[in-house]
Amino acid sequence: MTQEVNIPLTDLRRSQPRFSGFEAGHRACLGCGEALAARLVTESAGPDVMYANATGCLEVFTTAWPDSAWRVPWMHSLFANAAAIGAGMEAAMKAQGKSTRVIAMGGDGGTFDIGFQALSGMLERGHNVLYVCFDNEAYMNTGIQRSSSTPHAAATTTSPAGRESMGKRHMKKDIVSIVAAHHIPYAATASVAYPSDIHKKVRRALAIDGPTFLHIHTPCPLGWGHDGALTIEIARLAVQTGLFPVIELERGGVAGAMPIRKLRPVTDYLGLQSRFRHLFADSSRAKEELEHLQALADHNIELYGLRGEEKIDALDSEGADTVRRGGMRWA
Amino acid sequence: MGVKITRGSFARPGTSLQFDTGSWRVQRPDHLHAAAPCHSACPAGEDAQAWLALVEEERFREAWENLITANPLPAITGRVCHHPCETACNRGGYDEAIAIHHVERFLGDMALQEGWAYPQVQVPDTAPEIAVVGSGPAGCSAAYHLAQRGYRVQLFEALPVAGGLLRSAIPPYRLPSKVVENELDRLLANGIRFMPGQRLGRDFSLEELQASFSAVFLGVGTQRSREWSIDGATPRDLHVGLSLLKEWMDVGVIPCWSSVAIVGAGNTAIDLARVLKLAGVPEVHIISHKAIPGPGVPAQDAMPAILREIEQGLEEGVTIHEHRGVQRLILRGEQVVGLELVHMKKLADANGRLKRVAFEGTESMLHVEQVIPAIGQVVDPDGIRALLGQRSYFRVDDWGQFPDQPKLFSGGDARGDRGTVSEAVGDGRRAALAIDHMLREEAGEVPENKTTPIPLEQLNLNYYEPAPRPEVQLLDVAKRSGFDEIESGLTHKQATGEGQRCFSCGNCLACDNCWTLCPDVAVLKTQDVAADGSHYVFDYGYCKGCGLCARECPSGYIVMRDEV
Amino acid sequence: MQHALEGSQAIARAVSLCRPQVVSAYPITPQTHIVENLSKLVADGVLECELVSVESEFSAASVALGAVAAGSRAYTASSSQGILLMSEVLFNIAGLRIPLVLTCANRAVSAPLSIWNDQQDSMAVRDAGWIQLYCADNQEAIDTTIQAFRIAEQCELPVMVCVDGFTLTHTLEVLDLPDQQQVDEFLPAFSFARRLDPANPLSVGTLVSPEYFTETRQDHHQALLDATAAIVQAQSDWLAISGRDTGGLLRCEGPDDAATGILTLGSIAGTLQEAIEEQGDAAPARLITLRAFRPFPEQALRDACQGLERLIVLERALSPGAGGIVGTEVRAALGVMDNPPQIFNFAVGLGGRDVPLEIYTHLLDAIAKGRGTGFDILDLDTGKLPAETS
Repeated sequence: MTQEVNIPLTDLRRSQPRFSGFEAGHRACLGCGEALAARLVTESAGPDVMYANATGCLEVFTTAWPDSAWRVPWMHSLFANAAAIGAGMEAAMKAQGKSTRVIAMGGDGGTFDIGFQALSGMLERGHNVLYVCFDNEAYMNTGIQRSSSTPHAAATTTSPAGRESMGKRHMKKDIVSIVAAHHIPYAATASVAYPSDIHKKVRRALAIDGPTFLHIHTPCPLGWGHDGALTIEIARLAVQTGLFPVIELERGGVAGAMPIRKLRPVTDYLGLQSRFRHLFADSSRAKEELEHLQALADHNIELYGLRGEEKIDALDSEGADTVRRGGMRWA
Repeated sequence: MGVKITRGSFARPGTSLQFDTGSWRVQRPDHLHAAAPCHSACPAGEDAQAWLALVEEERFREAWENLITANPLPAITGRVCHHPCETACNRGGYDEAIAIHHVERFLGDMALQEGWAYPQVQVPDTAPEIAVVGSGPAGCSAAYHLAQRGYRVQLFEALPVAGGLLRSAIPPYRLPSKVVENELDRLLANGIRFMPGQRLGRDFSLEELQASFSAVFLGVGTQRSREWSIDGATPRDLHVGLSLLKEWMDVGVIPCWSSVAIVGAGNTAIDLARVLKLAGVPEVHIISHKAIPGPGVPAQDAMPAILREIEQGLEEGVTIHEHRGVQRLILRGEQVVGLELVHMKKLADANGRLKRVAFEGTESMLHVEQVIPAIGQVVDPDGIRALLGQRSYFRVDDWGQFPDQPKLFSGGDARGDRGTVSEAVGDGRRAALAIDHMLREEAGEVPENKTTPIPLEQLNLNYYEPAPRPEVQLLDVAKRSGFDEIESGLTHKQATGEGQRCFSCGNCLACDNCWTLCPDVAVLKTQDVAADGSHYVFDYGYCKGCGLCARECPSGYIVMRDEV
Repeated sequence: MQHALEGSQAIARAVSLCRPQVVSAYPITPQTHIVENLSKLVADGVLECELVSVESEFSAASVALGAVAAGSRAYTASSSQGILLMSEVLFNIAGLRIPLVLTCANRAVSAPLSIWNDQQDSMAVRDAGWIQLYCADNQEAIDTTIQAFRIAEQCELPVMVCVDGFTLTHTLEVLDLPDQQQVDEFLPAFSFARRLDPANPLSVGTLVSPEYFTETRQDHHQALLDATAAIVQAQSDWLAISGRDTGGLLRCEGPDDAATGILTLGSIAGTLQEAIEEQGDAAPARLITLRAFRPFPEQALRDACQGLERLIVLERALSPGAGGIVGTEVRAALGVMDNPPQIFNFAVGLGGRDVPLEIYTHLLDAIAKGRGTGFDILDLDTGKLPAETS
């Protein structure tokens, strides 16, 4: 069936019943989790916000001059300084007596690695900045190199699997705990598979006076080796297996966790991605690594109490992102 | 020349719109309305999904109006239907099927209570006139749909009142007579000329009808019981199931034997068994060739009676002998004192055809005071012998049309391949459509949406909350008299809750998922319903064709197609 | 008004008079006193601004950048390793055309570690795209700091005010500090057209393809060349208000008919001037003090060198493997003159080595001996060199 619309699409686009801070025509890959997360964040934050964006995919695919996908005041400076730029913006707003909020954002490289010091400084100084990390677990913009966020056993171009290697040897850095250890008022993780949860957490963070942190898990079809149509499915499986716990921390203490309704084995998640393909080889090492990853997931489940009580959580529509006729998820 | 650089290379907001990412696409998403399984499975042709959506929004009247475009008798079918819609319901593969049947009754009852009327149609005196014979569910449905399409209708009934088997064969604890009366009163008041006490073959002939009407629909039902004997033997005082039931419904009393065996596996067998049991017969047995339906029982081996009725019968103390047949009547004189039963099963023969096999050595005795066959009915050939020939039922096509008789139609039990009220209602509707199509002299097939229902696998179940199906109140077994209705209806809250639970298979839920999850801002939400019935349009100028929306659409309403 | 002030204190007071809204800094010797003094002014309620004590120079520059981008006047200061740590940001600030003022308390760059003065740090970032103004004394540091804000904001370019570490920053002298009214008259309130603003949401810091990158570089280059006019204008306007001449692009002292010229930048100029005066020479050298190193004032330099037979370029940094930095540029600039002077190039006073009053005679002796025709380090003690390099 071909669609017929009475009003031109450009007019319709202009009159969407949500805040459009992030526009179409950006050059992200098909099914990009980061593009989606960025759109959701701007949408949730509203118009009175300025953004500091670290170098990375998001910055590159949104602002190929003279085009920009942003409809919010936005600035990219460098790879390592998004948190410091955000701090400067916030100081300026304070000095000018303005209420415009500041969101700094970066990928996992710009947050876990090169921008880590600036992030720590911003948090310690108590700037009224929400820092959002879009975590796709490797340096994707430069060609899928491992970062300190790359999960254990994932193959990247600098942690390839081979006769002597099962992918990345080290563990994924527990950034949210490290951030929370700054005793900031609010730090949380979220997944692009749960947009209502992102929406809620962005708003919660922006309502707080002080530094806040949101870590969003965003699959990268190119780097993880999956079809773009599977981005949400894979993000959801990361949560449902326990490999990516969705939690909230206040002043350093765990204040909430999204329960897993139906626990899934890690192989359901790993098997969909070519970065973990070597784990399905018929070898004892591969089997051991699978067990290792399952153990890591089990550890998270135990640590954060993620095992959902089926009865109680059955109606937890807020966290589970279930839908209602007529789009009531956003109510 | 052209673009000038800007100081510090800043860019203006939203200028990415000048970049055409739609050109990357090799696949495009498209909205595809696939039929919901409940819609495909409904014998009456109802689109339950459509009216459940309205029920959720408490737009009950609109829901009822949607429902009656297919079925004018929801208060009746909402009580007696075997609801294949619920068997087909995809939600059954997730937690529990939607209680479509109960919601249908809820709407039917509300319509009666509120006095909602059918849509008024102005029928000119010059409109073609159609004769409908028989005012059972098939005839009533045909008459209603023809009247709604602007035809003049005369509805002939041999008895003084309309209803056919609705009044004579379904006991009031399942279908209170008040409900039948109210539902039919409304139907008959709707531009239909009702002709009671007019029997085919006695008061008028088929030829006369064919001569004076533009078309004729025969909804005559099956008025004659099948011949029954065991090796030529019949008891002296043979009672036949359906007439016994009818007698009880007419006069309210039934012979009170000490023990009875009913031979048969259909609804009449169960209804009668329950009536006898409730009337005080201590021992009521059903002898069934088939098994009680349940998990692992193939459909062809399951008793055709409605499972709910079987279960309630068992609850009330009826004994069912599964896979059993009567081998011999044990008579003292011409008086039955018992039956010799044998284990039986349908098995494939050398040619692969199913046939009943009795297993030697499994014979047993059942002492009963009375045996009652309830093995089915056939068309009464009075007045239509020529049409029927040697057959027990009419042979007509899918639309009810007789071969070589373009203006003659039939449906309901008289077809022989039906057996439920809902199927009869559906037959009446389909015949009305076919008659309309014929009289308008339209070319081609009669238009009707026939689509393959969307399977569970094409839905994304992650987006649905588990939620239990509501339970209706049942009258305590001790309080059941046979006259008081056993099942009560749903509450408002329960009904709207079922609307919420509906997956909306193959149809837009307007849930915002595609709009929310598109990374490329290429799904736009429309203020009003878009032309294709959804609330969204794809902006192909930017859609890169990643397929995320299709994958994540909860109801399977989006498909990906290759770009040409 | 006259005050006895330490250089750092004077600079801090000057910055404060310019009403910055955001100050960010990270401690490093010898810049530390500037930030300490600013912090005290804030603590005492003299200066109302957001003081951000960051965790690195990289963040110091970034915070200042973010603040200006968001529409506030900002300031930072650093030295040596700090300048190099923030160098990535310095290039970025300039390329984004962000008006920011930074004081560089000049110091040597490690290794070996030296906390003492030379100008290797600011020279290392001369290609960052900033305006660089060098101060000969602390009065100039005050006046240049004030002018720097106006130049930066008028040109939408960052300005680095270079002040010799210790030599100036830690020296106590009597200085004339302008009053607030004078500064307010000279420096309009900050208003940045390209500021980040929800009402006009620009995207700043885009990716530019090869199709346009060249033109962005030319545009930046031209902006720096054009800044010469703004530098001269700021100086003459400030002269009208303060009565003090700080030199525009360069300062030229000495007789018109001098045969020998000495070109230098920073505090050595003061030492040389004193030395020339003390010498009481019958034919004293012409002293050319380069104030603007970026933009490089080629024409003003050629004008200043008219009639000279010899020009000695004296600098406090070097490019190992090449030689003088300033000297090389001066050679290139004067090469197109009809009768260019012979150029001698020396480095001196590296890593805080004292530059004595005798420097003038040392220089004249050295060129008499034929040294410096290429590049030489004037105060090198060859006796301390290991055998293989001596």
